[in-house]
Amino acid sequence: MRTIQTETRFPLSSVKPLETLSRYRAHCLEETRKLLSRGSARRTASPVTGSPLQPFGTVDSFEYLICPDTGSLFLASLPPAEAWSGLLKEMHRYRHSPGGFHSELAASRETHVYQPKVEWIQETLALQGIRKPALLEGGSLPGDLKELLEKSGSFSRVEFTDEAALARGVSTAGKGAFQAVVLLESLDRSDDPAGLVEQAERCLSRGGLLFVTALVASGFDFQALGTNNRYFYPPDRTNCFTLKGLRRLLEKFKLELVEVSTPGVLDVEILQAHLAQDPSFPVSRFERALALADEPVRQAFQSFLQENGLSSYARLAARKL
Amino acid sequence: MNCLIFGYGYMGKIRYQVLAKHPQVKRIWVVDPHLEKPPQELSGILLPPGDPLPWEQTDAAFICTPNDVTAPLCVEGIRRCRNVFCEKPPGRNWEEFCRIAQAAEAHPDHTLVFGFNHRLHPSIQAAKALLQEGRLGEIIYVKGTYGKSGGLKYRESWRTKPEIAGGGILLDQGLHMLDLFHLFLGPLQVQDALLADAFWNCGVEDNAFVLLKSHKGVPAFLHSSATLWRHTFHLEIGCRDGYLIASGLLSKTGSYGREQLVIGKRQFEDEAMALGNPREEIIHFDRDESWEKEVQEFLSAVQEKRRPTHGLLEEARSVMQVIRDVYALRGPTVVGREI
Repeated sequence: MRTIQTETRFPLSSVKPLETLSRYRAHCLEETRKLLSRGSARRTASPVTGSPLQPFGTVDSFEYLICPDTGSLFLASLPPAEAWSGLLKEMHRYRHSPGGFHSELAASRETHVYQPKVEWIQETLALQGIRKPALLEGGSLPGDLKELLEKSGSFSRVEFTDEAALARGVSTAGKGAFQAVVLLESLDRSDDPAGLVEQAERCLSRGGLLFVTALVASGFDFQALGTNNRYFYPPDRTNCFTLKGLRRLLEKFKLELVEVSTPGVLDVEILQAHLAQDPSFPVSRFERALALADEPVRQAFQSFLQENGLSSYARLAARKL
Repeated sequence: MNCLIFGYGYMGKIRYQVLAKHPQVKRIWVVDPHLEKPPQELSGILLPPGDPLPWEQTDAAFICTPNDVTAPLCVEGIRRCRNVFCEKPPGRNWEEFCRIAQAAEAHPDHTLVFGFNHRLHPSIQAAKALLQEGRLGEIIYVKGTYGKSGGLKYRESWRTKPEIAGGGILLDQGLHMLDLFHLFLGPLQVQDALLADAFWNCGVEDNAFVLLKSHKGVPAFLHSSATLWRHTFHLEIGCRDGYLIASGLLSKTGSYGREQLVIGKRQFEDEAMALGNPREEIIHFDRDESWEKEVQEFLSAVQEKRRPTHGLLEEARSVMQVIRDVYALRGPTVVGREI
C-alpha cells in the first residue's frame, strides 16, 4: 500500500474561501432543516461496523452521532432516500448556478481541484498496469470532472451514474463493467455510504480500482475546530468519516487498499481563516501559535500532516480482489 | 516442490522463510557446513555435514553462499537439477560468470534466476510504470547512490576478503544499482571510474564512482560506498518533462529510511510559483514483497517450464560486463587511499 504527499500549494481562496462558503453553507443548513422537518428517521447503527451510534454533538443544531469503533461522525436523522437525493441535486445546482461559489471559482477549481484528481486517477491506474479502462463516476449530477476525464483521452469510456441510485442498487451501470469507479466526496453526503461502496464494488471488474476522496474527521482542521468548523455542515458533510473509518468501510467489502493518503494542503489555512474571521474562536494555544507562525513553519506542519495521514482531505484507492 | 538451500546466512534465512510459506513447496533442505549452532527451526531440515546431497529429489536449488563457492555450486546445481536460484553476485568475476553461463548453455532445459530483487521494490516498480506511461518523457540521465556504513565487524566479514568476495562494495551493493540502471536504460558502457579504499583498508574498494553511457547515449553515474555513515539508497531519473527520485528501502532494519518515490514535473517560471521549485508528489510505500515475488516467479517459471521475467542470465551478463570493465580500467586491487 502507498501514501502520497504533495508539494502542490494553492490558497484556500482559490478553491473554497470561507467568506463565500458561508453563504452557501447557510443555504445548505436552511434547506436541510426544511427537508428534515417534513419527516425523518433516526440512524442507529454505524455504517462501518454496525455498532450502535453514540451521541457526539451538534452542528448548528443538527445532531451528529459517533461510531464508537472508528470515531466517524454521522448526521443523526435522515429523510426518505428520494427526498435526500433531491436535496443533494438541488445543492449541486446551487453551487454551480451564476453567483454560486463553484461558478465564481470555476477556473481555479479546475486547476487545483479537478485536474490533480484526474492525474491521480491516471497515475494510480498506470501503477496498477491498467490501460484505457472504462470508468464510472458516481455523483449527484455530472460536473466538471467527467468532462476532464473524457478530455484526458486516458479512458475507453467515461460514464456517470447517480450516486443515490447506485447506493440503492437501481443504477443502470453494468455490473463488473468498469475497471475504475470514482466517488469524489460521495461518501460524505450519501444517506447509505455502505450501500454505495457495496454497489460500486459490484460495478468493478476483478482487479479494477475504486477511487474515493472525502473530508475526514481525523484530519487536523476537524480535530482543532470540532463542531465549530464552518466546513462541517449537512447535507455535504452528512457523514464525516475518520481515515480509519474509511479504510474499514472499503475493507468491509473485500476491497484491497492500494493507497491511503491525506494529501490535503489547506488544514492550517482553514484554521487561520476561522481565526481571522473570529479572533476569539476557541482553539488551543498551540493551534493559535501555529496559525500565527511564519509560512515555512505552517508549510512544514502541513507536510507533516500529509505524511502521517493527519490532513483532513483523504484520498483512497482500493482494488477489487 | 522440493528445494535445496546452500548457505544459511543473511540471504539463506530470507529464502528459507519465503520458501517455508510457499504453498507449492513441500520440502526444504538446508546445507551449511559452517553453521556453528544449528537453529531450532532447522531441526530435520539441516543436512548433517558429510551427508550426501539429495539431488535426485531436488526440484530447485538456492545458492546463498559466500561468493567463492557461488559459481561452482551454481554450475553443479544446473547440471544436477537444472533449476537454480543464485544470489548476486553471479560469481566473483567475469570468468566465474562465464563458467555459469557455459553450464546454462549446455543444459537448455534449465531455469536460472539471479537475485536482483531491487527491481521488484515498490518504488522501482512504480518508477518503471510511470516511465512506461510516458508523461515524463524520455530519460536524459540517471544517477544512483547506494551505500552502507560497514559496521564494527565489516573488516572481518568475508565480503571484504578479496579472495572470497572477488571485489568490494561495487560487486556487492553497487551491482544492484547497476542492475537498476540496466532496467531503465538497457546495456551500458563504462566511460570512466574511480575506486578507492579510503577507510577500511581491506584491499577491496570501499568507494566506487562509475560513469556510464547507454547505447542511446544517456549518461549514468553510480556512487557505491561502504563509507556512507548514513545508509543511503537514492536513484534519480531525470526526464525531459520531469523526474523521479526513488529513495529509502523497505528493509528488515529500516536503516535506509522510508521507501518513497518523488514524482516531479518540469515547470518553468511561467507555470510554477518559482523557477526550480516544481510541483512534486511523494509516494510512500509500506510493503516490500520483492523477496516473495522473485521466488514466486522463479518457482512458477520452473513449474510452467517458461522463461522467467527477471533475474535473467542476460541481465547478469550486462552488470558483470560493467564490473569487469571497471576493474580492468582501474587495475588490480591494492590497499590504500586510491586504488
